[in-house]
Amino acid sequence: MKAIYTNYFKKKDNIDPVLKALENVPIFEHLTEKELSEIARLTHERTYKKDEHVFKKQAPAEGMYVILDGGVEIFDPDSETIFATLKSGDFFGELALLDEEPRSAAAIATLPARLIGFFRTDLLTLIKRSPELGNKVLLNLSRVLGERLRKTNQELARPTQ
Amino acid sequence: MEILPFLSSIIGMLVFSFLFTTIFLQAVDSIERFTRSRALGVFLIISFTIMVGVTFMGSFISNLGSQIKLFTQKIQRDDFTTSIENLSISIKNSLPDSVANMIPESEKIILLAKNSLVGIFQSVLSLLGSAGSLFFISFMVLIFTIILLIEYHDFKRSLVKFVPNKYLEVGLRMIYNIELQISKYLRGQILAASSVAILSIIGLFILNQLGANITLIVFIGIIAGLANLIPMVGPFIGMIPAILIALMNNVGSEVAFNHQVFGTIPSPFYILDIIIMFIVVQQIDNNFITPLVVGESVGLHPMAVMLVLLIGGTLIGPLGMLFAIPVAGVLKVVITEVVFITKNSHLL
Repeated sequence: MKAIYTNYFKKKDNIDPVLKALENVPIFEHLTEKELSEIARLTHERTYKKDEHVFKKQAPAEGMYVILDGGVEIFDPDSETIFATLKSGDFFGELALLDEEPRSAAAIATLPARLIGFFRTDLLTLIKRSPELGNKVLLNLSRVLGERLRKTNQELARPTQ
Repeated sequence: MEILPFLSSIIGMLVFSFLFTTIFLQAVDSIERFTRSRALGVFLIISFTIMVGVTFMGSFISNLGSQIKLFTQKIQRDDFTTSIENLSISIKNSLPDSVANMIPESEKIILLAKNSLVGIFQSVLSLLGSAGSLFFISFMVLIFTIILLIEYHDFKRSLVKFVPNKYLEVGLRMIYNIELQISKYLRGQILAASSVAILSIIGLFILNQLGANITLIVFIGIIAGLANLIPMVGPFIGMIPAILIALMNNVGSEVAFNHQVFGTIPSPFYILDIIIMFIVVQQIDNNFITPLVVGESVGLHPMAVMLVLLIGGTLIGPLGMLFAIPVAGVLKVVITEVVFITKNSHLL
């Protein structure tokens, strides 16, 4: 009985690591498994060697990356400030999905890394082919950016010590 | 070295499949939105296109067949010879002596006309002979197009796999811009061709009301529209079938021979009328419709257009002229991106 239940009724865990990684990205929140796999079909899986640039500062920006495994550091090469050290499951560069401004910081692989790239052209294709899903992603993206704006406002409003 | 012609025909098939894919891609993408199934979208689009194509070709061939039959009967009648003779005499009378002497005797003209007609029929027959291989090629193009249409986005994705990390983002942008350029060009061309076809049909209909006796006007209009896809030379090619049909239908008619445009300028067999009509259609298309529907097309300088047309025409012939402009448009995108990449190589 238990076997039947687990085989046919229990929701299976995502075996595909790409789907699993995408599921945890806020931009792809509240999507069904079918919708997620539709997005996964548009993404590009890339491998980076240790110390290889994912992108440099001021490079033309086309989209975002989700870390499948490995580590990535976001830093400003001019002031040598490290903004973030990211690990498996984290994402970066999502602002480029919306605007065409060059990258404001550089990203480098601190460990051999596997990344999933989701680019503006993929988002445009998604909006064209499946507007409903495209809208969901856009709405999630706006929510992520809105949250970040609210945080920045709070930071600014905090009295300087 | 026997493999070269074989390869070139396969490449040709692939080029045509890719072209059809780009034409139908938008439609398939939009149908996919509603049906949620890409395969169904491809099936609907392809079957609709085949149906329209077969109906068009079928009725065109049967109409052309009856037209040729009628014309052959006309030639075989004895009065055809006399009408040609009358024609050459009246032409001679209307010309100054010095020019008239250069025109060969009427018998020679008849012989020439008959020989050239035999030549035309023979080439039509040999064309039918190659229909077998044409069928095979069309079938392969159809299969390739279906596969490309269904797999297009996955296909593009696997292509991106080969782009090095360094050039990934600029590479994606380049692919997107090339797609945009081609689809913009194609959509503009298809709209412009349809408008020329419709305007030509209307123009020919008006000429018929004035007594031009031109048959197959729908087909002539469509051929003119298709010919219009070749810039600069196309409009002239488009006039030829109309003039030929007008000649075929009106040979032997005294009224048609003495016809005058606006009652003053002689226009035997309405030839001048047809030319004026097509020029008017061209002007309407160039000045009102094309700027409206095409907007900014590939953005090439007229001089560059002429040059690439010459190059395409010299290298591959009429097909080369047809593809010259979109290929040049794609090259322009590629060159712009490559220049960008080399200028900003320190950023990649």
